[in-house]
Amino acid sequence: MITAERKPLAEIIDCIGENRRILLVGCNECVTVCAAGGRKEVATLASALQMNSMRHGKTLDIREMTLERQCDPEYVEQLAPFIDQADVIVSMACGCGVQEVVRRFRNKRIYPAVNTKFMGASEGPGVWAERCHGCGNCLLGLTGGICPIARCSKSLMNGPCGGSSKGKCEIGSDVDCVWQLIWDRLKELGIEDQYENVIMAKDWSTERGGGPRKIVREDLA
Amino acid sequence: MQTFEPVIVAFCCHYCAYTAADMAGSMRLSYPANVKIVRVPCSGKVDTIHMMKALEKGADGVLVAGCLDGDCHFKNGNTKAVRRVALVQETLKELGIEPERLSMVTMSAGMGTRFAQIATDFTEEIRKLGPNPVCAGIEAKAAAGAVAKAN
Amino acid sequence: MTDQTTDQNKTVLVIGGGVGGIKAAMDLSEASQNVLLIDKAAAIGGLMTQLDRTFPTNNCDLCTISPRLSAGSRQQHIELLPLTQLTGLSGEAGNFTITMTSAPRYIDLEKCTACGECHKKYPECVRFNPGLDHRAPTCMRYPQATPQAFSIDMAACKDVDGLVKVCPANAILRDDTEKQHTRTVSSVILATGAELFDPGKLDHLGHGRYPNVVTGLEYERIMSASGPTLGQLVRPSDGKQPTRVAWIQCAGSRGINREDVSYCSSVCCMYALKEAIVTKERFQDDIETTIFYMDMRTFGKDYEAYYQRAKDQYGVRMVRCRPHSIIPDQPGDDLAISYATDAGAGLTTEKFDMVVLSTGFRPTAAATQLAATLGIELNPHHFAKTQSFQPVTTNKPGIYVCGVFESPKDIPETMVQASAAACMASKHLPRTNGATESDDLPPERDVTGEEPRIGVFVCDCGQNIGGAIDVQSVVAEAAKYPNVVLSEMSGHGCGKEALERIQQMVVEKNLNRVVIGACSPRTHEELFQQTIRQAGLNKYLVAVANIRDQNAWVHAGAPELATAKAKKQIRMAVFGVAESGPLKEYLLPMNKEILVLGGGVAGMNSALELADRGFKVFLAERNGRLGGLTALVRRNLEGDDVQAFLTQLVDRTNAHENIEVITNAIVVDHQGMPGKFTTGFQIGPRMYYRAIEHGATVMATGALARRPNQYLLDRHKAVMTQLDLDSLLEDQSAQVSEWQSLVMIQCVGSRTADNPNCSRICCQTAMKNALRLLDLNPDMRIFVLYRDMRTFGFSEDAYIEARRRGVIFVRYESETPPQAEAAGAQVAVRFTDPILGRPVEVTADRLVLSTGLMADDETTEDLAAIFHLNRTEDGYFLEEHVKLKPVDMSVPGFFVAGTAHSPRTIRDSITQAQAVAARVQALLARNTINLGATVARVDATKCATCLACVRACPYQVPFINEDRSSEIDPAKCHGCGICAAECPAKAIQLSRFEDEPILAQLEGLLERIA
Repeated sequence: MITAERKPLAEIIDCIGENRRILLVGCNECVTVCAAGGRKEVATLASALQMNSMRHGKTLDIREMTLERQCDPEYVEQLAPFIDQADVIVSMACGCGVQEVVRRFRNKRIYPAVNTKFMGASEGPGVWAERCHGCGNCLLGLTGGICPIARCSKSLMNGPCGGSSKGKCEIGSDVDCVWQLIWDRLKELGIEDQYENVIMAKDWSTERGGGPRKIVREDLA
Repeated sequence: MQTFEPVIVAFCCHYCAYTAADMAGSMRLSYPANVKIVRVPCSGKVDTIHMMKALEKGADGVLVAGCLDGDCHFKNGNTKAVRRVALVQETLKELGIEPERLSMVTMSAGMGTRFAQIATDFTEEIRKLGPNPVCAGIEAKAAAGAVAKAN
Repeated sequence: MTDQTTDQNKTVLVIGGGVGGIKAAMDLSEASQNVLLIDKAAAIGGLMTQLDRTFPTNNCDLCTISPRLSAGSRQQHIELLPLTQLTGLSGEAGNFTITMTSAPRYIDLEKCTACGECHKKYPECVRFNPGLDHRAPTCMRYPQATPQAFSIDMAACKDVDGLVKVCPANAILRDDTEKQHTRTVSSVILATGAELFDPGKLDHLGHGRYPNVVTGLEYERIMSASGPTLGQLVRPSDGKQPTRVAWIQCAGSRGINREDVSYCSSVCCMYALKEAIVTKERFQDDIETTIFYMDMRTFGKDYEAYYQRAKDQYGVRMVRCRPHSIIPDQPGDDLAISYATDAGAGLTTEKFDMVVLSTGFRPTAAATQLAATLGIELNPHHFAKTQSFQPVTTNKPGIYVCGVFESPKDIPETMVQASAAACMASKHLPRTNGATESDDLPPERDVTGEEPRIGVFVCDCGQNIGGAIDVQSVVAEAAKYPNVVLSEMSGHGCGKEALERIQQMVVEKNLNRVVIGACSPRTHEELFQQTIRQAGLNKYLVAVANIRDQNAWVHAGAPELATAKAKKQIRMAVFGVAESGPLKEYLLPMNKEILVLGGGVAGMNSALELADRGFKVFLAERNGRLGGLTALVRRNLEGDDVQAFLTQLVDRTNAHENIEVITNAIVVDHQGMPGKFTTGFQIGPRMYYRAIEHGATVMATGALARRPNQYLLDRHKAVMTQLDLDSLLEDQSAQVSEWQSLVMIQCVGSRTADNPNCSRICCQTAMKNALRLLDLNPDMRIFVLYRDMRTFGFSEDAYIEARRRGVIFVRYESETPPQAEAAGAQVAVRFTDPILGRPVEVTADRLVLSTGLMADDETTEDLAAIFHLNRTEDGYFLEEHVKLKPVDMSVPGFFVAGTAHSPRTIRDSITQAQAVAARVQALLARNTINLGATVARVDATKCATCLACVRACPYQVPFINEDRSSEIDPAKCHGCGICAAECPAKAIQLSRFEDEPILAQLEGLLERIA
């Protein structure tokens, strides 16, 4: 899942500037699940923006909408009837959603209200942690199912660096050294010898090296 | 000058604070009439949106009143309410609105005296803070507009 | 004037409105049976209303019980006639004709609002119970008498015209007269109680002559916040706070002198301890407390621990002596008590500034008269006579008894008997078909799609609201609110007339929403819901604005602010109700079959009572046969043949068509809720699994006879338990009569560090067996070594008899228990005689140990885990409320009877079993289980399946279903709304507390002035 968190209110307020009519758009997918941009967050942000504006003597005209998925054109189309009544769109979706709205409504200013963070998993109620970097060439089969690219601060692929101490990464005592986790996991599985296998230099062209990426399924296209 | 009479919304849990408020009545304790109660089944039912909307619509202070720690009728609704109140207080800070306008309090059903005391103290605190800046802004503008028109 | 009513519905007459009568009436009404409750007083409540607090919880419980009887919430099943006495009874069980006389009240109950105007102007004319004046601001003990109305003492009133005029409600009936009533009833419950002994009759204790000698009850009144001193503990003579208070136990009880009675009143030890503890709690070291006693009789469940706490934690001083007299200590108002103890030779004299006499119960002349009227027998002490195995049944069929009129007892025991009497009395009534939620209600009008049409009714509530709030201006203002089509004043909104007016307006003005400005919805919402439902509206289309408890009562000093607040409160309610819609209550069919666990006397009695009433009962017993602990007992104190009784009981149980007995059954799992339980068993000998579905569960799993490894028990042939002796007395009487000397040791394994409680039955058992031994061999030398003789109630007679016939009683202290040693075929027992102050050795033919009962710890632990039940520290099952719900358990739908609850006699177990049967009938009276409407609902189209609700629910109810949406089972939802507040997709709404009405209320309050 893509995770995000709301931007500081000051930044959002600054973007909106003097605009009065606002279309505030949430998304019912990832950002709802990570409590950043679902219906509830949309309502809370709307209220906060309204309060701020009223403090300065004017009221805003905010229309709240939450799309099933902001990164699909069919859902984005649902905004069409309301676009003209808005001076500006504020999106609480991830960056994908924001850009999909832009692709459809080219003549309307849009601002993100969340910072899109990473692809992660829910470690517990209210806690999300990075798990995948989207490198386009998955190594998990070689590392006991734990990703050194997403979870090692240096994305090292053949064991820890000298900064690994007592299972923690040198950047912070609350950050696990992923190579410790990988080692523990290999041991649990009884395949420690796999650790000896050298992972060859990675082909980064499948990540950002080859420029913006695209998947095309001919059968579905 | 006329003293400022704040409007205070108290979201009260049916099982404790609401009953305590009734108890204050039975005991004929006096507290400021500024406090208006919205009954909820549990303080854990009070949504962040409810707290925000109360302030947005012009309440000068908002109380969320639940059961004593460990005594929630529904196990842990009150601890969830505590966290939500803290979150909304952060948002208020971001907006430059005094976070003290929102407060979480706890009591048991029998604590009529405590309810009256909290109602009194909170009303005083809000009175000191002055009117909710959200409304004040709008009213100032409206007043200015009226003056402009008159001119 | 005479009225004659022929009751179509069968009715139970309950005489006496103390806690016992109230409890019996409530149990019957909960079971949809009709009750006529009469009391000679102007308001019900009895003795308990005068108590400050009650043991062992030290809180005021009438506050909990009384509102449920107030007119607002009383079920239509209870008719209350205060100031009424029975004058005659004829006919037979099932069809009695009774005559009654009601004294004039001079007040119209329908109109009186208890505003207090009459009492303010003409205090001499108005009766109210001392200390129960509900207008006193400090009176929180019992703020609402039932019926909530005054009564007039016309004879004392000089200015009747003035009095009539002063009443704002026009409620005074100057020409009220005595009324005669004739009614038919099916059965009668006597709950007339008793009175407390007046110690003024005893000249040596000085009550009535020395102002600072008071009775226990008078002390309670002085301590009570609602009492004459408003809770100030001051002594009567000079209003000073005492520093040394003494209690003298058994004042007028356990005596042989003039005015004394021989029996023990059972409750005085506990109430003296309570009064001393409460004194210590409030004043700590400022007041010294001393209790003079003979035997400390704390035999009830966990009462021994209370006694130990009084001594060890609160420092209440205990002196074992019965002082002869109280002498004034001149000059001044202090009092001197002279006493002797084991420790010192001669008399010690101490000064106290207040002395409390612990007086006990006495039968009333009125009750004796009533017994004669009814033709029921009394025992030699003038209490109602019942049989050993029919503890609440009088000699006259159809007439039952509960509470202190049967024998002296405390509140929990009274409550148990009251429920038992309700069970027995209901035998003479037809079984109700059960009430369904929608019985006798008109169809609900469909209001969906209609614009809100709101009617606003604002109560004046006598002076209660109108005194602070300008109701007329609130009414006028409310008329202007959006969607309001009618706004009017409603006087006493909860009165019959006002309710009918609301119903009439709903129809006439085609209202589809109603707002009532009234008292707290906590107490009255249900009444208003019923009212609009009867008028054809869904019951959730009413909102109550709490303008009394949360406004008029707290802002009385600021009428303008109060009025402004009331307007806002009504406005909030109007806005909120406009956004509310009709709701459906979730109903499930009630399973009316009952599971009884345990096939002892308690289990079989519960099963039989219920089976006789037509309920199907599964009686599951862990062992191979029925009988339980009672199979070990041969004779009870009264001398009945216990085995003959048991055999008959087992035969009836096995033969009953409605009872399925399942032996060798072990509980393995359990789930569900009241009315819909499933319990799984493994059933021997092949241990096959069987699941039983049932609506209620009775825990009657019993206890174990203790057999400690002490005093050579099971190591020397001459040492045995009281149970062993009981058998020998029956089977080998010839051999027993040969014995020349015998020693009994009490409290073996009880009242010790590892088992702190008293086993309750051992002292009686020892007396029973000692007397039987003397019957066989009058010359036998019997020594009873005891710590406190706890022959409470009428069993004191057996103690007196044993002493008279030469049994030697020697007290020992827990620190210096007797020693026993083998001496050939005999046993040498050594102990210290406290009077002689020297060791004594007795070589006895037999040593008999009073070992009592112990909880079946392993069983109760397992069952508690499976059923989530609570247990006491010593492993007995814990009831829901020690006083008010003594046979209900904390898990709804579970009840407890017999020795699984605490050690008790067969007779007491039967009482509990009958009480449980009444409680089960009350639970299962309805045909449906109402889960209410306050449940969380998921809008599947909005759900993001994020699991927030699954994680947030305190009860693990939501789950993600196959259709990729969260789902909440209304049958399991507790209605807290936590999930609704957490849901990031706003896909969950809690019915009745949806966002719309909550936000609308805010809108109503906060709408800005444009």
